[in-house]
Amino acid sequence: MIRNVLVANRGEIALRIMRACDELGIDTIAVYSDADADAPHVLAAGRAVRLGAPPPAESYLAGDRIIEAARTAGADAIHPGYGFLAENAAFASACQGAGLIFVGPPPAAIAAMGSKISARRLMERAGVPVVPGETPADQSDASIEAAARRAGFPLLIKASAGGGGKGMRMVRGDAGLAAAISGARHEATAAFGDGTLYVERVVTRPRHVEIQVFADAHGRAVHLFERDCSTQRRHQKIIEESPSPALTPALRALMGDAAVAAARAVGYRNAGTIEFLLEGAGDQARFYFLEMNTRLQVEHPVTEAIAGVDLVHAQLRVAEGHELPWTQADLHQRGHAIECRVYAEDPSAGYLPQAGRILRYRQPERPGIRVDAGVVEGSEVSVHYDPMIAKVIAHAETRDAAIDRLRAALAEFRILGLPTNIPFLLAVLDSQTFRAGHVDTAYLDEEGSGLAASKPLPAAALAAAAAHSESARAVSADRSEPRRDPWASLPGWSG
Amino acid sequence: MPGTRRFIVRQGLAATPVEVRSDGRVRVGDPGDVFLVTAVSPGEYLVSSGAHTWRVAAAGPPEARWVAVEGAGACLEVQPEGQTRAPRQRAAHGALAAPMPGTVIDVSVAVGQQVRAGDLLLTLEAMKMELPIRSPRDGLVSAIRCAPGELVQPGPPLVEIT
Repeated sequence: MIRNVLVANRGEIALRIMRACDELGIDTIAVYSDADADAPHVLAAGRAVRLGAPPPAESYLAGDRIIEAARTAGADAIHPGYGFLAENAAFASACQGAGLIFVGPPPAAIAAMGSKISARRLMERAGVPVVPGETPADQSDASIEAAARRAGFPLLIKASAGGGGKGMRMVRGDAGLAAAISGARHEATAAFGDGTLYVERVVTRPRHVEIQVFADAHGRAVHLFERDCSTQRRHQKIIEESPSPALTPALRALMGDAAVAAARAVGYRNAGTIEFLLEGAGDQARFYFLEMNTRLQVEHPVTEAIAGVDLVHAQLRVAEGHELPWTQADLHQRGHAIECRVYAEDPSAGYLPQAGRILRYRQPERPGIRVDAGVVEGSEVSVHYDPMIAKVIAHAETRDAAIDRLRAALAEFRILGLPTNIPFLLAVLDSQTFRAGHVDTAYLDEEGSGLAASKPLPAAALAAAAAHSESARAVSADRSEPRRDPWASLPGWSG
Repeated sequence: MPGTRRFIVRQGLAATPVEVRSDGRVRVGDPGDVFLVTAVSPGEYLVSSGAHTWRVAAAGPPEARWVAVEGAGACLEVQPEGQTRAPRQRAAHGALAAPMPGTVIDVSVAVGQQVRAGDLLLTLEAMKMELPIRSPRDGLVSAIRCAPGELVQPGPPLVEIT
């Protein structure tokens, strides 16, 4: 039985978890750095414990301080959220060592999936498709050529010891193979003193399609369908949706089964995500295991919308030792959901992250729109943490209706005081490629700069900017100090 | 016309004359277009011209006035006519210092190299984002004061261009 949860995170995800706790009658404990002393997640919690200075290493990554805070405050569980310590196996086992329930998977599952090599071996044994490739035991030219033909073209020949592109060769067919092997071996030996080579198929123009899985301690494991996260910039997801425009029912069933097999193979419990690369389209498309995220994802609201479930409730119940609240037969995909991430950044200036105070903040409110945010009006977006301000999730009957709903919500989202990526998000949603459902993981890296260009404001905006100087009430409001707790300024009301 | 105030509104390098009349009509440009501006709540305006109406939000002091309309937003400078004002210090875009604490992930130039304004000098990573640092002017790279992997702070120049 969990009575007190310490939420070892900040921002929107800390608030999300605390709301779930409130609904279940569980008390919450926030932790905070000096940059977050009056942040919304601190005000939302029943109690709050200071961790230290703003840098994550001295606050949200300081596992020993967090466990100490949990003990002092009488917590019986720790929810790590995402990022920070969420996928740190040592932290998860330290929690258990301190007699605290870690709301997440067993430390051994985090560790096994945290290593690319061990995860790949585990998946191969479980029959989950991985990108074809191998490090041949026999490193002769003939043996490596044979391995390359087994993997298929195009492929990469890589230094087994290496990184940073040294000793790496892309080969498109038989013709360049022999020269690439000798070149890569030469470079690998020079750079790493080890000429061992590894061959791997290159998945061309993949989509990123991930499957939400959930397992309990009673042997039950289910999947909650896919999220298509192909709209990404340099591996940073920007828009996520479900259903994926690329999956057929047959492929969805195959990928769901593979994801459940993957979770079972690693002895998984609680919520997790199996990420796949998807190549091609239709029933002939092939999918390959990429990695497992052993935590709640940023984009979990997409799944909550289409499956009609509360993943954080289920996380807490499963962590307590209860059975999963659903069987596979209970779960259905209903309608279409799309999430986009609103960042404090300037896409027209190389996506430079922006810090500063939010002068005005008004969330969109309309049917089918959910906003998960970690800020309020007057909040300071600091340089120390991820610049995500909010997530906006639209749910509607069809994909087109969900896009229209998300567009309208973004257009009315008021965030004044620092640049955001909202114009860029709108340009992506309006692009023909996105509307047609044809975005792959290379799309934004190839076409993003055209979508990110800033456009001059309409003359109407200049009219309001000048008129605002004539509106005395508005100007005096702008010049006042950030809003504080009104009780703090009333004499006789000091706590 | 009595009760009329004139402003210069700057967006980046563009400067536009704007005339605000006491009857709520606002002329943007010269001769420009006339809009009817109505405040619906503090800092929220309905701006109409002919059949089209925009809902515009405005906040912040004149030298850094934020406006948002239909999902687009920008920081403008609103200068009353006849009043001179030092141009607002813009954020360190394109300067030679780190705009925020970050890790150097790549140095794209070498000492002695000629660069042009806008050339990529180095790339930082901060807040999980890549930040390109570009040359603000043409010149010669005379010193590089950081290396890949190094954690740098805002302030001192990371590259010197002479």
